[in-house]
Amino acid sequence: MTGSVEINFALLATLIVYLILMILVGLLAYRVTSNLSDYILGGRRLGAGTAALSAGASDMSGWLLLGLPGAVYAAGMNQLWIAVGLTIGAYLNWQFVAERLRRFTAAARDSITIPAYFENRFRDDTSALRVVSALVILVFFTFYTSAGLVAAGTLFEGTFGIDYELALAIGAAVILVYTLLGGFLAVSWTDFIQGILMFVALVLVPVITIMNLGGWTETSQMVAQINPGALDAFHDITLFGIISLMAWGLGYFGQPHVLARFMAIRSPGDIPLARFIGITWMVVALFGAMLTGFAGIAYFGESGLANPETVFILLIQALFNPWVAGCLIAAVLAAIMSTIDSQLLVSSSALSEDFYKRFFRPGASDTELVWIGRGTVLGIGVLATLLALNPDAAVLDLVSYAWAGFGAAFGPVIILSVFWRGMNRNGALAGIVTGALTVLIWERYEGGLFDMYEILPGFILATLAIFLFSRVGKGPTEDMKREFDEVQRAQREG
Amino acid sequence: MQETLTTATWFWLLVPMPLLVLLSLFSLLRHSLRRHG
Repeated sequence: MTGSVEINFALLATLIVYLILMILVGLLAYRVTSNLSDYILGGRRLGAGTAALSAGASDMSGWLLLGLPGAVYAAGMNQLWIAVGLTIGAYLNWQFVAERLRRFTAAARDSITIPAYFENRFRDDTSALRVVSALVILVFFTFYTSAGLVAAGTLFEGTFGIDYELALAIGAAVILVYTLLGGFLAVSWTDFIQGILMFVALVLVPVITIMNLGGWTETSQMVAQINPGALDAFHDITLFGIISLMAWGLGYFGQPHVLARFMAIRSPGDIPLARFIGITWMVVALFGAMLTGFAGIAYFGESGLANPETVFILLIQALFNPWVAGCLIAAVLAAIMSTIDSQLLVSSSALSEDFYKRFFRPGASDTELVWIGRGTVLGIGVLATLLALNPDAAVLDLVSYAWAGFGAAFGPVIILSVFWRGMNRNGALAGIVTGALTVLIWERYEGGLFDMYEILPGFILATLAIFLFSRVGKGPTEDMKREFDEVQRAQREG
Repeated sequence: MQETLTTATWFWLLVPMPLLVLLSLFSLLRHSLRRHG
């Protein structure tokens, strides 16, 4: 008995140290945050490394250490396609959108949120673009954040036997404290630490597990005896299924919490280095997650696990001394927190920058706006926590729904806004509405084509809508064309 | 009997994702050569 108490003490102690470190980073960021642009976008002064790891850690939620290893453990290497699709999407986003979006958002009246960028880029004097896109962000992110909190609460309940409500309250409180105090810089700096933790855990756990099993050859021979289908990426999956998994990669172009990192980087010239760091981090992390699930098949044998998603945590507890295990379990928490905090801050900016400052108090002082920003972080955080208190399966299903919603509603609009000179406000509005509606409707039907992940039809139809409706109404103004040409020229000259 | 990953699985595991890392490395090198070269 004393043994397990001792182990639990070591685990809890390392976790508490980790949580205190996050709050200290929040305090540090608090001291250098003086206006709303600092609070929402860090005053556009992120370095390449911070921007890269912050984009990666914000994007990769607890799914990377729970869901993906669990899926490979349960089904085998046919889960490879989602990793391939995600990496291609993230690469294309860094390669073709990042630098252009950084330049265009600065040129379009220094827009610090996606809704502000849409309004300013397309000279929308009706505010419809801004209101609609801010509402899309508020609705999808409140649920998305809530799903992350459910994952955090469940993790602690399962690992430590702590009461779900208590775990949820502690987790939410820590995230709220550092996000509320330090805003974007606190979120990005903690993301950096959390990204490093995730990277270390995703290298260490599969390597130690495979060594413990006697090496790679022995591991795959054991898997071959237990579940030979797991060795084949084409086992038990159709081309339709492969396309559906790879379509997840289309989501990147429209995720506001990832795009914010592009907008916040110090200069467009920092992007090539950030892209290399970001893609390397992601590929190593995804390999580590898949290998952990694969080695888990061999380690836990045929008796199997009741819940495949616990494979990463059970391997940590089985193979590492309690103090190291504490750091590695902190990495799972880090993956969850680094996503929640970024989404929370984007949601808060939709209220503070896109509603409060834009419609109610355009002349408000910096101090007032920052405190309004903090108030909205608190409000949305409390709402998401209340939603997470009574979780049903529906909350977790909402993650793939929200990912598709952002990907289809914002993705095509973002891409075409930085590539197509002839796009106008009507095209942008039609793209957002068509993308969101297609995802909403497609998800409700089953059978045949409707079994395809809804992001693909949403993305395609939104793109068509932009081309079609940009022909309606006024074309781009002379002012818009001049701005577009100036940014294009700067982009070409590098 | 199959005792390791199938050949096609090795290919799709070891080609696309590392290739993207290499592409981003090359574009970084090209960028820094253009800047400092």
